[in-house]
This record gives sequence, structure tokens and C-alpha cells, in this order.
Amino acid sequence: MPIKTWELDPNFRNEIMNEPGGEHLAACFQCSTCTLGCPITEIVSSYNPRKIIQMSLLGMREEVLSNPDLWVCLICQTCTARCPQDVVVSDVLSAIRRIAEKEEEAGKLKIESPRPLFDKAFLHQLEKYGRLYDIGLAKEYYPKKEGSFIKGMRAMMKDYKDFGMRMFKKRKMGPKAMFPEKIKRTDEVKKIFEKIGD
Amino acid sequence: MNGKKLAYYPGCPSAGTAVDQDMSTRAVFEKLGIELAEVEDWNCCGAAEAENPILVYALNARNLAIAEKEGLDIVTPCSICYYNLERSNIALKNDESLRAKMRDIDGSLDYKGGIKARHVLDVFVNEIGMEELKRKIEKKVNVKVAPYYGCYLGRPPVTAFDDPDDPILMDQLIELIGGECVDFSYMKTKCCGGPLMMTRADIAFEMAKNVLEAAKRAGADCIVLACPLCGMMLDAKQPDIEKALNIKIGMPVIYITQLLGLALGIDSKKLGLDKAAVDTKEIVGKVV
Ligand code: SF4
Ligand code: SF4
Repeated sequence: MPIKTWELDPNFRNEIMNEPGGEHLAACFQCSTCTLGCPITEIVSSYNPRKIIQMSLLGMREEVLSNPDLWVCLICQTCTARCPQDVVVSDVLSAIRRIAEKEEEAGKLKIESPRPLFDKAFLHQLEKYGRLYDIGLAKEYYPKKEGSFIKGMRAMMKDYKDFGMRMFKKRKMGPKAMFPEKIKRTDEVKKIFEKIGD
Repeated sequence: MNGKKLAYYPGCPSAGTAVDQDMSTRAVFEKLGIELAEVEDWNCCGAAEAENPILVYALNARNLAIAEKEGLDIVTPCSICYYNLERSNIALKNDESLRAKMRDIDGSLDYKGGIKARHVLDVFVNEIGMEELKRKIEKKVNVKVAPYYGCYLGRPPVTAFDDPDDPILMDQLIELIGGECVDFSYMKTKCCGGPLMMTRADIAFEMAKNVLEAAKRAGADCIVLACPLCGMMLDAKQPDIEKALNIKIGMPVIYITQLLGLALGIDSKKLGLDKAAVDTKEIVGKVV
């Protein structure tokens, strides 16, 4: 389908480049090295970081921000390591994801992937305790992902019943793992989140 | 490295799924006569979930500043912690305005850029050195190994300390202790799928399965790796992967610190080898 040039947003590239990590977007010369080496392309056939960058440079803001493929990047850095133009591809994609999250917060976009919920739930643990608390993370993430507390708990049991027993038997998780490992000066970490956000 | 002491950053998995990695790291350094002083009151590095680089820099500035006060370089056994610590270190070292920004957030982030962050593998091979390790080796570990490097040892270029396409540091250690590396070059640095475990388990399982099956096809007795997320995917979740995809793998997975520990003559229990989900008795049995 041809691009509707009158619907392009010429400012989108600047919006990305103003996000930390998005700075080098404009250096891309479309060689496709990133896509060719990306392990996700072997599983998700539509996945194409080169194309996401091209569409971003063209200003196809809506199409880019609503692309479900944004949320399956592994941050494995294969693309970044190979890009001849030193585009930090993986950071560019993450900058785009953060713009999409802001759009969703503003009520202008619906993200189908649960990934933003997971990342937020993860960071909430750090904000509260200074370290990751696995159980706290699961208790926040699953209900949000499934849409209700009961459904969330059921999904969590399904994913973690065998795994939890296995970890318990091997004494990788004991009664101590039930409680968060809280650092002493949580106020210092809280300040980071207050001033930067997540 | 300042004499015989390093600041130690265990990382969050050290309290649970990667307690064996933590145990073996501590035991190996003790045996090598290098003191590890745990970074006092350390906080999480942000893992793969903190996506905003500024947030990552701030979280890690706090840990770097604590170690800097002691005048010690930081060492960590976790590849993701290493990546976050060292990329923050480099960004902060080279940018006074970024350091000022950190100080504005909180005094505890006042890092001056005076230390380095390193991964244990880098310290073993490039700091302690093969000659010194060779002198301390007490046992031969006669195993066929698939050396699995994952993402953050050779990538991205700013923090890499090994070759991005064909890393060799673990291979060298494995050969030093009498093991044999199977042909695994095309899989060595491919992602295990871990970052998508909680949001796209189907993709994560498929990727982990590919690594496990490649090791099996190559005739390996075990996979050796250096990252707790890889460890969780390939070992702790291996029975879940077998069940979900209706396959049988049974591939033991151990950390490089555990393998080195065996060669240094450390007791397998002290190295946490009994804690793996897939039994490691056969590997321990090959120590002579
Ligand atoms: S590898 Fe770099 S220059 Fe080539 S298409 Fe990807 S981002 Fe653009
Ligand atoms: S970081 Fe993302 S886009 Fe880049 S190679 Fe890995 S999965 Fe693909």
C-alpha cells in the first residue's frame, strides 16, 4: 500500500532522537545488517528492525507505535554490535517503546503486549525494596496481565507450580524467598524513581 | 585491580535461582586468594527491564559510588549486571554533565569515575591470567562442553571483552582444566530467549530449546555458561520446556565458576552443583 505522504509526521524522528538512546537514528543507511542477524526473525517472520527504523525516519508515527513487533525485541544487542553506522539499534527500539508507552498513558494508543506491565511491575519492586522481589513482581504482574486477581493467580499457578516446587526441592528457594530482601537506604533509590520516573 | 581485593556485586538472582552461581563465585575467589568485599547495601542494576538509559545510569551510579569509596573495582558473575554496571561507568566517566545530573538526583549517586566494573570471566582470564590459574589447578575435569556465551560478553561493543562473533575466553578456560569444547560456534552467542520469558514464553521456550538441542547434537556432556538468566532458562526451566514442547533433552547446565571450582579441587556441594534442576552427578563424576 502506498504511503499517504500527507499523513506523515516529519517530527517523529526528532521525537525519537530526543529520547535517551534514540540519538543515532538518523545515521541509518538502510543496509539491513540488523535484520539479517536478528534471532527473532527466525521465529517471528514479520520482524524487521531495519523497516521499523525506515518507517520512523519517514515519519510513519502511528504505524510504528502500533506495531506489535516492537515488543518482542530481546535486547540481545546483535544488531547493535553489527551496525556499520553505529546505530544503537536496540536502544532506538527501546526509545520507540517508551514513546508508545507515553501514548498509551495519554489514552491515545492501546498496547496489546503485556511487556510494559511486566517492566513496570519489575521496576516497582526496585522502587520499594531496592532489589528484585520475585513474588512481589508476580503478584503485581499476573493480575494486571490477566485482567483480574483470580485469573491472575490461576495463570501464575499454572506457570509456576512445577517450577516453584523444583526450586524448593533444590533449596534454591526457601522460606526466605517469600519475603523481599530490602536494602537499608531505600530512600536513595526512591529518589531516583521520583526524579527520573520509570 | 587493587592488590588482592575486589568489590563484589552478586546481583538479585544470587538470592534465589542463581544461588549456585553466587556460592561458586565466592568459593573460587577464596581459593584463588582474592578477597571479595560485597558492595555494601547494593541495589538492583535495572536488569533488562529498566529501558531508559538515564534510569540505568542512576541505579548503577549508586553501586559504583559505594565501591569507589572503598577504592575497589567491582566484579560480578552476572552478564546483565556487568553490562549495566560497565556501560553506566563508561557513560559517567566520559560526561561531567551526566555526573552532575546524578548528583542533583541524590548525593548517594556522586560517582567520580574512578573504578572499573568487570565480569568474573574477564577477571579470571585477563587479570589473574592463565599461567597463574594453571599453577592452581588440582584436578582434571574430563568433560565435553558446549561453551555458551549468550549476549553480553562480546556485545555491545562499548562493554565487550571478548570477540562478538567467536568469543574464546570460556573455551580457553575449559581447555585449561582438561575439558574439550564441542563445535558450538554458531550457537555460542545466540540469545537464550530469557528477556521474553514472562511476556512471550512461546518465543523464549523455542529459543532456549534451540540452544539445548544444539548442545545435544554436538555431543556435549554439559553446557557451561556465565549468566544467571541463561542459567534459569536452560537449567531451571528445562523440565518446563520439555513438557511444553513434548521433547526430551536432559542436558546438564553449569556455571563457568562451578567448572573452574571443580578443577581447583573445591567440593561440589560448596559449589552448589547439587542445586541444578538437571542432575550434574555425571559431570562431578568426571573430575579426576
Ligand atoms: S544495520 Fe544499522 S545502518 Fe544498517 S539498516 Fe540496521 S540500523 Fe540501519
Ligand atoms: S536486540 Fe532486538 S532487534 Fe536487535 S538483534 Fe536482538 S532481538 Fe533483534
